Amino acid sequence: MNRKNFLSSLLTLGAAGPVLAGEKRSSFVSTAAPFPLMTPPYLKPGDSIGITCPAGNITLKEIQPAMQLIQSWGFQIKVGDTVGKRDAIFGGTDEERAADFQKMLNDPGIAAILCARGGYGVVHIIDRLDFVPLIQHPKWIIGFSDITVLLCHIHTNFNMASIHSKMCNSFPDDWTKAEPVQARSILSIRQALAGERMEYTAAPHAQNRAGLAEGMLVGGNLKTIETLAGTASDIDTAGKILFVEDTGEYLYSIDRMFWHLERTGKLRRLAGLVIGGFKVKPDDPGEEFGRTVVDIVTERVKPYSYPVCFDFPVGHQKENYALKYGIPHILDTRDGQARLSERSVTIAPLP
Amino acid sequence: MRIPPYLQPGDTIAIVCPAGYMPRERATTCIETLQSWGYRVRIGNTLGGPSENYFSGSDDERLTELQQVLDDPEVKAILCGRGGYGLSRIIDRIDFSRFVKTPKWIAGFSDITVLHIHIWSNYKIVTLHSPMAGAFNDGGADDVYVRSLRGALAGEGANYTCSPHPFNRVGVTTGRLVGGNLSLIAHLVGTASDIKTKGKILFLEDVGEYRYNIDRMLRQLKRSGRLDRLAGLVIGGFTESKDTMRPFGASVEEIIRDIVSEYDYPVCFGFPVSHERENYALKIGVQHTLEITPEKITLRE
Repeated sequence: MNRKNFLSSLLTLGAAGPVLAGEKRSSFVSTAAPFPLMTPPYLKPGDSIGITCPAGNITLKEIQPAMQLIQSWGFQIKVGDTVGKRDAIFGGTDEERAADFQKMLNDPGIAAILCARGGYGVVHIIDRLDFVPLIQHPKWIIGFSDITVLLCHIHTNFNMASIHSKMCNSFPDDWTKAEPVQARSILSIRQALAGERMEYTAAPHAQNRAGLAEGMLVGGNLKTIETLAGTASDIDTAGKILFVEDTGEYLYSIDRMFWHLERTGKLRRLAGLVIGGFKVKPDDPGEEFGRTVVDIVTERVKPYSYPVCFDFPVGHQKENYALKYGIPHILDTRDGQARLSERSVTIAPLP
Repeated sequence: MRIPPYLQPGDTIAIVCPAGYMPRERATTCIETLQSWGYRVRIGNTLGGPSENYFSGSDDERLTELQQVLDDPEVKAILCGRGGYGLSRIIDRIDFSRFVKTPKWIAGFSDITVLHIHIWSNYKIVTLHSPMAGAFNDGGADDVYVRSLRGALAGEGANYTCSPHPFNRVGVTTGRLVGGNLSLIAHLVGTASDIKTKGKILFLEDVGEYRYNIDRMLRQLKRSGRLDRLAGLVIGGFTESKDTMRPFGASVEEIIRDIVSEYDYPVCFGFPVSHERENYALKIGVQHTLEITPEKITLRE
């Protein structure tokens, strides 16, 4: 069954339970997008943003700075039932987190769903969610780290754009004391939601590989991407610009994950590769890996010729700009520094 | 399915390190013990070689040596000195054509899971998930686990028992045995070395992983359809497991019990396959019967 037929059968079924559950879904994953890119409507003043916890838990107090700032941008906030809930490391039980997320998917009054934080837990609920309401009324899903599961899932299955960005737990308690890069990173969420054309420049890096690429921007947390392999949320990267970041992994593990990307064909037909922040876990004594992240990546992409950039400001760090996930972008590394810009439909095609 | 010829006295076992570095002296007892069992031992350059980094040699050096011992008709078994990390880097460059014509034993575990699963999935040749050179040290050469390696190489059929666990799901089941290190099995999903588990008895072990990550990898196996049609599940040691500062709220055993609760195949916990001494030699690809009663667990060929 191709995706279009699948979608129409979904729509016929309506919101009758977790229609996406099941294991035999590899046929959904295909390079040719079987239905067109869905870009949710950009937000206007007065629109509502829902805040929910599909993974780790957070308190109402901890999201206050984010709420106040977002309200100052002219948006309204709907606080989900999972904010303030806790079940071990999770923002409520699987049932509670799935129900809260589902409520926000179903609510036509919510224009965007901001995940309060990452942590771990989206894979517990992803197969219980009914995305039919999202397809009928697209809305922005916002987050990163463990939220990579959601961003990959809706890109792969519905060709729907989303926003990879900081979440509530990265907003400073006192906005006036925010570091400039932190403030710019957070303000980039507003720009992305408002529909501005995004354009970022990364500092020059001696190991960047020069080139010009155009493709949909996909990626996220590297370990999360690896653990989606073989599942219904796995991404196809052919012809796309892939960005990856990670934190707390050993160098040998980062090397192994890049080999995973290679061996699953995710590096072979890329348009371009964007390496974000990697907070490396120090080697255990006697287990010194002897290669840096730059070495690891450079070695892996040697057989290919697409542009590669390092230290792009995306990841578990203060400078972590909002990226429009699943939207066509241009990566330009021709002069050493890297520019990543959203492809505008109004500009002329690349020379 | 093909089983390599079992070893005869005088046969040659090669010790190589296709992944992490291992000092030569860590394998001394292993070498002497294999000789005392009546085998000749050939030592690869990757064992205690000149490498000064994480790996036992460069990719090319490790690959060349592994290729040599795979192709050499004199070598009847390859015992890996240790695991670590490194097979993923060379597995796609190994030429298995001579090995497929004249199979021989490949023994090891941990990172060696990549070799086991790759060979079973692609060539249906039986390999041996077993203790490696380091396990012979500190009296290990005399314990039942290293002796199970000796027995397996000589052609003895496995017949292992262990004590019950409160979470065990009783039953009797038969199927080919597949499995190994959970991190590696998850890492292989979607690659040319991917595992197939339908109708199989799957065994899993791991070391030093965070509980949330064990949960995440098992969810991956579940979501990719690798847990739903098992004949049975054998959980070995998940040793040195770590927890996050905020507790995960479930033990490794509870995590696994909950993930397979919707299935009805037999499941046992605490089977002696692990990164500790408790590590029986298991023939991957061979039909086994798993019998779980309230009193004990039996796994036999």
